[in-house]
Amino acid sequence: MSKSKLKIIFIVGVCCLLFLLVSVWYTYTFNAGRLVKPMDFSAYVFQIKDIPMLAAISAIILYGFFLAFLLFISLLNQWQSKTKAVKTRKLNPKLGLLGFLGFFGFLGFWTYSINKTVFPFCFFVFFGFFGFFFEGKMSDTLMDERFKENAQKAQLTAYKIGFALIWLLLLLIGQGRFAANLEHAVIVLIAAISFILGFTLFLGKYLLYRYDHDGQSEEEINGGI
Amino acid sequence: MAEFECNLKKYRVLKGLTQEQLADQVGVRRETIMRLEKAQYNPSLKLAIDISRAVEVPIEDIFVFKQE
Repeated sequence: MSKSKLKIIFIVGVCCLLFLLVSVWYTYTFNAGRLVKPMDFSAYVFQIKDIPMLAAISAIILYGFFLAFLLFISLLNQWQSKTKAVKTRKLNPKLGLLGFLGFFGFLGFWTYSINKTVFPFCFFVFFGFFGFFFEGKMSDTLMDERFKENAQKAQLTAYKIGFALIWLLLLLIGQGRFAANLEHAVIVLIAAISFILGFTLFLGKYLLYRYDHDGQSEEEINGGI
Repeated sequence: MAEFECNLKKYRVLKGLTQEQLADQVGVRRETIMRLEKAQYNPSLKLAIDISRAVEVPIEDIFVFKQE
């Protein structure tokens, strides 16, 4: 999408928002806050003074639908370009450093002690970003049949290991090995499954790199005859 | 994977092609041609046919599968 189109979409969004704000001001000033303050819509009777607010709500909804439509078109285009892709995406191996975000998962111990929030344990999944290191090393590589075969093999192996680990975890938790307390068992489950998912994502990339490069001779690296 | 011998290198050199040129012609990476020549990779039928056409030699002369 061109920059001018994005600019127009942004301006239309801002206009809709301004329209809504003006309508809210109008409603509070001249219409006793109807349609803004909580009200019983089953007893709603239309009034001329409701028009600005109704128009603003309609504009916001239409804009939302328009954005959803644009998102759908963009995803469709992305999917089509992916199916036509002959080379791997260009990626900097340094993006692998994002894997350190996985350590945010340990924040869960802190938030749990403060207000029993366990959500941060999910951040362990970010360890999977370490896989970008290997994906970056194979950046912009022609995806020929051997590469695709290796990619399938690597993903299958990674998923098999991931599922086996999850099954093992469930078995151990089911037996109450980690925690007899149900709340603690849930925490272990969230943290461990997040970590395993991250590990699986990483393993897929790592194995693909290994399958692609294992047994690579000096001649192969420097260029053949 | 079935064991096979690959005579690709011989025919490729006879044809005067480098690995890079052959790879470009058949739409694969040079590393794949290298693995093929070492019989470390079992190609698809399509790739085998493409290679056979590129070096102008019948498939069965390039890839020789061992009888068990």
